[in-house]
Amino acid sequence: MVSTQHYLLLAAFLFCIGMFGVMVRRNALVVFMCVELMLNAANLTFLAFARQRGDSIGHASAFFVIAVAAAEAAIGLAILIAVFRSRGTLNVEEIKTMKH
Amino acid sequence: MPFFDCLQQASFFDCLAHPPLDPYAVSQGLWLIIALPLAGALLSGLLGRLLGRANTNLIACAAVGGSFVISLLAFLALNDRSATLQTPFSDEPLRFALGHDFGTWFAVGAFRAQFGLAVDHLSAVMALVVTGVGFLIHVYSTSYMGHDRGYWRYFAYLNLFVAMMLLLVLADNLPLLFVGWEGVGLCSYLLIGFWYEDAAKAWAGRKAFVVNRIGDFGFLIGMFLLTLWVGAFDAQTRRFAGQGRALDHWRAGMMERGPLTFHGLEEAVRRIPPAPAATAGAVTLQTPIESGPLQGLTFGQALTAVLLLFMLGAAGKSAQLPLFVWLPDAMAGPTPVSALIHAATMVTAGVYLFSRIGFLLVLSPAAMATVALVGAATALFAALIAFGQDDIKKVLAYSTISQLGFMFMAVGLGVFWAAIFHLATHAFFKACLFLGAGSVMHGNADETDIKRLGGLRREMPWTAATFLVASIAISGFVIPLSGFFSKDAILHGVHASRLAVFEWVPTAVWVVGLVAAFCTAFYIGRLYLLVFEGKRSPQARVAHPHESDWPMTVPLVILAALSVFAAVYGLPIIHAMGRDQTLIENYLLPVSRIPEELERIHRTVAIEEAAGWSDWMKTWTEAWFIALAGGLLAGVLYLWYFPSPHRAPSALGRALMRAARNGFYVDRLYELAIVRPTKLISFLLYKVVDTLLIDTIFVRGTAWVTARVATVIRYLQTGDAQSYAAVMALALFLAAGYALIQVLK
Repeated sequence: MVSTQHYLLLAAFLFCIGMFGVMVRRNALVVFMCVELMLNAANLTFLAFARQRGDSIGHASAFFVIAVAAAEAAIGLAILIAVFRSRGTLNVEEIKTMKH
Repeated sequence: MPFFDCLQQASFFDCLAHPPLDPYAVSQGLWLIIALPLAGALLSGLLGRLLGRANTNLIACAAVGGSFVISLLAFLALNDRSATLQTPFSDEPLRFALGHDFGTWFAVGAFRAQFGLAVDHLSAVMALVVTGVGFLIHVYSTSYMGHDRGYWRYFAYLNLFVAMMLLLVLADNLPLLFVGWEGVGLCSYLLIGFWYEDAAKAWAGRKAFVVNRIGDFGFLIGMFLLTLWVGAFDAQTRRFAGQGRALDHWRAGMMERGPLTFHGLEEAVRRIPPAPAATAGAVTLQTPIESGPLQGLTFGQALTAVLLLFMLGAAGKSAQLPLFVWLPDAMAGPTPVSALIHAATMVTAGVYLFSRIGFLLVLSPAAMATVALVGAATALFAALIAFGQDDIKKVLAYSTISQLGFMFMAVGLGVFWAAIFHLATHAFFKACLFLGAGSVMHGNADETDIKRLGGLRREMPWTAATFLVASIAISGFVIPLSGFFSKDAILHGVHASRLAVFEWVPTAVWVVGLVAAFCTAFYIGRLYLLVFEGKRSPQARVAHPHESDWPMTVPLVILAALSVFAAVYGLPIIHAMGRDQTLIENYLLPVSRIPEELERIHRTVAIEEAAGWSDWMKTWTEAWFIALAGGLLAGVLYLWYFPSPHRAPSALGRALMRAARNGFYVDRLYELAIVRPTKLISFLLYKVVDTLLIDTIFVRGTAWVTARVATVIRYLQTGDAQSYAAVMALALFLAAGYALIQVLK
């Protein structure tokens, strides 16, 4: 029997992978995918608790997160394309003009 | 019964005594008197440019003319038997008065101010003078300002002024009167600085405004004190003399209309018995005030303080010592403005105020003596300065100050009717003189130096003739005209007045008044002779001046005619109360009845009334000889002595002349004693508080500290999104650890 703890452990594991990816990967596209991974970890948590409690509020929240993630993906990818066109690179270490 | 209703029952001549309009209708329509010029001001001010010159002229004149017609209807309606005003303060209605309360302006706690208008014989005379003279000056202005680009602005201000003056005159309480009081000050400022592109003229407007504000400050404080005084009176009075219900009635009225209505104050002071005759529960002037900020003073002392503060206000508005300095500079405005505001109407506000609250003034001999002495000092001082002025408008300005001094003399010694009479006649002849001066300037390329005019009588016959009539009216030399009678009524009343405590004051004021009357005849004679008689000055700007158009000469003729015929009101032709009264005294009796009653009860001032014609003849002869002497002296000096080339004035004469020309250096004294120190203190405050403390330490200091801190911590902003993410992750990790520890505990 798969319990809620198993789901949560999986979610934490996914979240950590995503977080480390955001912190260490150089390619902005990969950073972006890692963000999606973190969002899905949160989704998994919502659904695990929804299953445990037997109500639908968690499902609704998960749908919201999916909707937001879709919008974010659309806008984020557009930004990435624009950045690549203007700078010719997606290496986040080279995109740091907003500083002191 | 109104005239037209009467016609259906009786013949035309039987109905002549009936007013054209029912008194009740008049009382309901009083607001129209003010609203018409106000609407005119709005129309000219907002749409004047679109409407064009002719339409604006028409609107402005029609607004004031309509106001004059309604004032006339009110004036006529007042004499009807049914013209009574039931005030909420007492059972008995006031006769020969009309009024209506148009609602609440504001109410705070026990204090309230109402939009209450009232008209009685005093306000009616004032309203007629304001709208009548105002209308003539509007007509005159259509020609005088015929070439000015700012005509719409001019007529908007002028209409607004008339509205404000009417509000001042018709208000039935002090707060509403103060609105008009401030309003005329504002309009005066706007019109003095009308040609604001000339810096000197703009400064003259500012000076008038600032000096007026000093006076208004006194007026405001006086009103606050009077409110406290009424509160203390209300708290300490247990019962009114007479009927037992009177006090409750009065208190109900106070709740309904507020503490500062003239009728309420009048009803209150009527119930103050003289100290020896006081009954239990009544407040006298010697009763100490038990509580409140005025604690420790007696009612009489507090009232004196109130009246002295009002005197400060009146000195500012009516250009009396020590606040007269703005009026001579006010001549920077267009000449019709000088005629309307600085001669005929606004400057009489102080005289009107004291006549209106005469019932308070007569309770305080100290305040009366102050008012009378200030008036006498101003009358003489300004008349002496008028000797030395060469600017035609400045001579008239100082003459106005001097004549206002005469009015204050009369008011201060309780001869209210003479002050109002002189106010009305002065409005006629001084407006005529000023408009005449304007006509002279118009025909002589704006020349105002009387030494560079001369011999204008032949080229400007209408102006010269009306100017001569008005000059004779003001001085009374050659033949007595209206100004002679009104000034003599003042001098006569002052001489016959017996003031309590300060017994020497009436005599002193009388002597000073006689000297000032002599000076009046002299300087006016000098002015007329230099401008209109003799030979044309070689320095004249225009070789042949031209007479002005009819819109300028017709008002001159009407005003000159009024200056002549107003004399009728100074003749003692009514026999009433055991003596011969002058017409105007009899007419103003409904208003002056209560002050006179209080004078008798409290024995503050007594006026030995003239028994009849023989007494009047005596004082007239005296005054006439004085005027004649002054006029003759001027005639001898300026027609015979100075024109001959061999005679020059002596050194002493020259020194006096120089001092008088500079206004006895009062302006320079104020400059040294008040303006410079104020400027110095302002400069120090500006440097220390504003520049150093606020600008440098607070404003720039804050910015400096922020900038310094920011230079250090800005290195934290690397622009590397991943290091930001690492910080966030670290914070998240720490927060999770902290939560875990809390849960495990």
